[in-house]
Amino acid sequence: MHIPDGYLSPQTVIATYALSIPLWVVGFKKLKATLNEETLPLIGALSALSFIVMMFNIPIPGGTSGHAVGAVLIAMLFGPWIGFISVSLVLLIQALVFGDGGISTFGANAFSMAFVGSFVGYYTFKALQKYKFAPFIAGWSGVVASSFFIALLLGVQPMLFMEDGKPLYFPFDLQTTMVALVGSHALFFGIVEGIFTAVVYKFLQKREALV
Amino acid sequence: MKKRVFIVIGFLFVLLPLGLLSSSPAWGEWENEYYKELLGFIPKGIVEANALQTPMPDYTLEGLSSTTSYYLSALVGMGLLFGIYFLLLKVVKHEKSH
Repeated sequence: MHIPDGYLSPQTVIATYALSIPLWVVGFKKLKATLNEETLPLIGALSALSFIVMMFNIPIPGGTSGHAVGAVLIAMLFGPWIGFISVSLVLLIQALVFGDGGISTFGANAFSMAFVGSFVGYYTFKALQKYKFAPFIAGWSGVVASSFFIALLLGVQPMLFMEDGKPLYFPFDLQTTMVALVGSHALFFGIVEGIFTAVVYKFLQKREALV
Repeated sequence: MKKRVFIVIGFLFVLLPLGLLSSSPAWGEWENEYYKELLGFIPKGIVEANALQTPMPDYTLEGLSSTTSYYLSALVGMGLLFGIYFLLLKVVKHEKSH
């Protein structure tokens, strides 16, 4: 799901940064209000967990692979803003140190994977909280919602930015990106995120009190 | 709860080489050659993208096996994350003391 450099037009890059920057400002304020000696090790560890869970590339039929994100778990435990900022930091390190996801596309990736994933997951969890399966559905829906925005951003490129009949940036149309990305996340990686979120959430809640 | 998160991290860390089993790229994260083969050309924006030279591209370090590189990548990534939060906590405390 990490969009590399060169896949989005400069206009899309500017628009997605314009969207993400104010959200980061709000999120950082929330993180600073939450961060203290007690919460730091836990928020740090949950972010580390998100980093490591994204390293498990799972192959699926059709010759591609993908992974869980871990944003929803953080959002469920510390709220969606902390989930958003934590996963944004994970994505930033992936882009700067490992070349996983571009720099110009960091705004787009952070908005889709970190912001949308955290908020959709969090509010799904809140809405279904009294049901046992809430963490699973929350994890699934967060990641599927993220894949929808990634698919949207990629899929509109050839509709808007062509030169001499050839696409300038990401070449495949909206229908293709929706089927490939949202489809694969709904059927496979969303399930993985759901299981990860549910299993780890339950394990963390066992006996010990919250935070 | 803190201890339990570290248990989960430790568990995944041990299993980390499993993350390398898939040779398939993620959808939309192909090599440029893929576009050449499929479309007959590589979109201009993708050719001209000046992707940053990163210290550990694709979670690899020159001269190290892919498994060793992957373990190191995980340590570097997690270490940097903790580093950022510690710096942030310092900033928060500094702001509060003023």
